[in-house]
This record gives sequence, structure tokens and C-alpha cells, in this order.
Amino acid sequence: MEIRLSCILLAAVVLSGCSWFHRGHKAPPEIVAEQPQGEPSIIEPQVTRRVVKTPHIKAKDFELGAYYGALSIQDFGTNPLYGVRAAYHVSEDIFLEGFLARSKAGTTSLEDVFPDITVLSDSGRRFTYYDLDVGYNVLPGEIFLGRGRAFNSALYVTVGMGDVKFADKDQFALNFGVGERLLITDWLAVHVDVRDHIFETSLTGRTKNVDNIEATLGLTVFF
Amino acid sequence: MRRLLALVLLMQALNGGLANAAAKKLVLVVADPFLEMHSGPGRGFPVVYVIGRDELVTVLYSRTDWFKVRAATGNEGWVRRADLARTLLETGEPAPIPPYPEFASHRWELGAGYGVYNRENLVTTYVDFGLTTSLDVELAVQQAFGTLDNRYVASIGVRHTFIPEWKWFSPTAGIGTAYQYVQDKVPPAPLQKSNEMAYVSLGARGFITRRFLWRVDWRHYVVFNNLNVYEDLEEWKFGLAVFF
Repeated sequence: MEIRLSCILLAAVVLSGCSWFHRGHKAPPEIVAEQPQGEPSIIEPQVTRRVVKTPHIKAKDFELGAYYGALSIQDFGTNPLYGVRAAYHVSEDIFLEGFLARSKAGTTSLEDVFPDITVLSDSGRRFTYYDLDVGYNVLPGEIFLGRGRAFNSALYVTVGMGDVKFADKDQFALNFGVGERLLITDWLAVHVDVRDHIFETSLTGRTKNVDNIEATLGLTVFF
Repeated sequence: MRRLLALVLLMQALNGGLANAAAKKLVLVVADPFLEMHSGPGRGFPVVYVIGRDELVTVLYSRTDWFKVRAATGNEGWVRRADLARTLLETGEPAPIPPYPEFASHRWELGAGYGVYNRENLVTTYVDFGLTTSLDVELAVQQAFGTLDNRYVASIGVRHTFIPEWKWFSPTAGIGTAYQYVQDKVPPAPLQKSNEMAYVSLGARGFITRRFLWRVDWRHYVVFNNLNVYEDLEEWKFGLAVFF
């Protein structure tokens, strides 16, 4: 099995190498002459139809990246957070975005004062969420850095919902955020985001809505 | 072994990308008195360069309604879709700027939304493929958050759009089959953790703008189980979608 897989991989590498060498060659001719069919006639029409293929314009509406920052889990301190994000830009104003991130809760004040008490197990402290958001670019424009440098940027707001898994339980969570997208080049962007994840929990005794605010710095590429 | 396979796939992808990078770009001739180039793909960005009539412009790529172009002088900028659509090919034909997909006859749809499933909050995502203008196949993956349990629902079904040419409001109806997985939050554990289901649905869809549409859907599920009585579930949802 191992040998067979190796063979397939080797073949794949070799074939990809072939296409590499082929790169320098010209594209196949785009003008195709129609061959006259059937009996030769007295008058041979000298008509060649040109089949013009117009090159396809590539759309770069997708954005993919990662982010890192701090998440303040209500009652459980502020902790590092890391995640991935993917967006699809529908128009110059509206975009749809998805987030997937993870953090780990610290200890509550109660646990700090009384070290014998543990509110959550180790796996329960894991804070994982996914979000599906709609975003709107509120303030698009240029940002100036010094005299000779301008960056395209946009301040945006997002609203969405998703799942927060905390204390080994999945909860329905709403989120509201505001962020700034700064384009270093046309395909590379830096994001600064603040987002609040709100969900209902009865972890500390009574049922309440908790706000979990994150501040993150991200890097994305457009493709 | 898996890592090696991943590396090979990555190399393949990069190789393909490089090969495509050398592909020909679309060259157009400006037919209007001038063509304005903005510094970014949006109305908030200033005009930084202007291309005159009969000059050539190379189209590099697009982002939403804007096209990144390069003038013969080498200057680059972003041009509005409507402006670029008024340019010509070098043969004199109109520029092949793709129009928006037709709403009534679009093929693919990708959406997400909020709903209530069995009186629980529901997050839903779905993909929809149009077999004809009025009949489509819908694949949905949903997660419901309850106080007693969380439920994951995957469903596949067909949906009929009654009057697809009605743009702003068009009623729909569908049937399908689904699979439900129940994850209990508090004891006792459910008798059956997973069920097969069948559903009927009634709903509506409507056009919002460009590539955006809304949908509402009501579904009635029949849950197949080992008990003597069938369980019935109800679902309401509202979603936004992008169509291609």
C-alpha cells in the first residue's frame, strides 16, 4: 500500500514537473479555420471564421485569513484567542463573513481566593466559537501615513450569530462587532476588530446574558 | 505519508497558479471621452488617473463591481463595472463584461440564516442548486440550541418555486428527507440519539439587490423513531443568500 501510494505521489510530482516545463510555450492558436466538407466545388469559398476567445476576468471577491488577540470571558478573565476567518464580498458595501476561533478561560475570582474550589474542568475551560456574520463597510476611504503613503481602508460593522462552546456546552450566541480593514496591497489586508459575543448561561448560579468581548489583530489575503 | 501528500497537493496548486498567471489578459479600447481610474474598489476612493478615448486598457481582475485595470502608460487603478462595460474590444465589439446573474434563472445559491426549530434557536446554512428555473435541490446543515439538548440536522430535498419570474416575492414548496442527531445537555439522555426524518416545506423568496436574495421557510418534520408514536417537529427560518 505504502509503495503504491509512493508511486502515485512520484507520478504526480513528475507530471507537475512536465507542466512546469511547458509553461514557456505559446498558448494554442485561437484562430480556427473551418475545413470545407464533402465534394470539392468549383468556387472554393475562402472564408475562415475567427473564433475569438476573450480572456476570462478573474474575480477576487474572497478573503481568507487568521487572527490573534485577547478575549475577555465574563467572570473568567482575559485570555489569548486565535482563529481563522473567511469572507465573501457581495458588493462594495456588503460582505458575508465566517469566523472560527478558540481560547481558554482563566480562573474566576472565587477560584483565586479559594484555590480548592474549581468551577470548571480543564476541557470545560475551552472556549470555541463559530460565527456567521453580515458586514457593512460604513466608512470606506484612504488612510494617510506620512506625506507620500496612502492605504485603502474601510471601517465596517458586523452582526451575526453562531455557536459558543464553553463549559462543555454549546450555546446559541449573537455577536456584534466593529472593525477596520487596512489594505497593504490590493490582496493583503490587516484587520483590527472588536467583537462582542453574547449568550445566556447559568454557570455562576443564576441565568444571565454574558458579554465576551474580543479585540483582535488579523491578516487576510484576497483571492 | 499524509504530510507528503499534502505537500504534493500544495505544490500542484502553486504550479497551477503560476501557469495561470501567464494567461492572457483582456485588452479593451476606451470608447467614452475618458475612463476614470479610482485608487480603490469603492466610491470612497478618489480618481487618480484618467484614460483618454481610443487608448488601450488591460483588465487585470475584479472585486465586486470594480475592475482593476492597467493603462498603456503602466498606471493602475480601479474602474466601475458600468464604465468598463462601455469600452470596446480591439475588434470593435462591445466589451465582454459579465452581467449580473439573472435572478429568475440563477443556478447556485449559498445562504445562512436564523430560525426556530422545535422551539429552539436555530442556525442554518444551505446550498441550493437549480435543476430548472422552478425546481431546485436544497442541501441544509443546521444546528439548534435548546435548554435540554442541542440538535444537528442535515437535510436534502427538492423545492418548487411557483412563479420564478416574480422578482420580489415568489412562493415555494418542497419535500425532503433529513437526519437529526441529538446531543443531550441535561440528563436523562434521549431514548434515541439519531433519527431519520421527512419534511414538507412552504416558503417564499425574493430579490434584494444585485446578487442578494431573502428566503423564509416553514417546515414540518415527521421524526421516525422506535416508539409507537411519530414525533412531529416544526421549524421556521429566515435567511439571506447570495446567488451565482
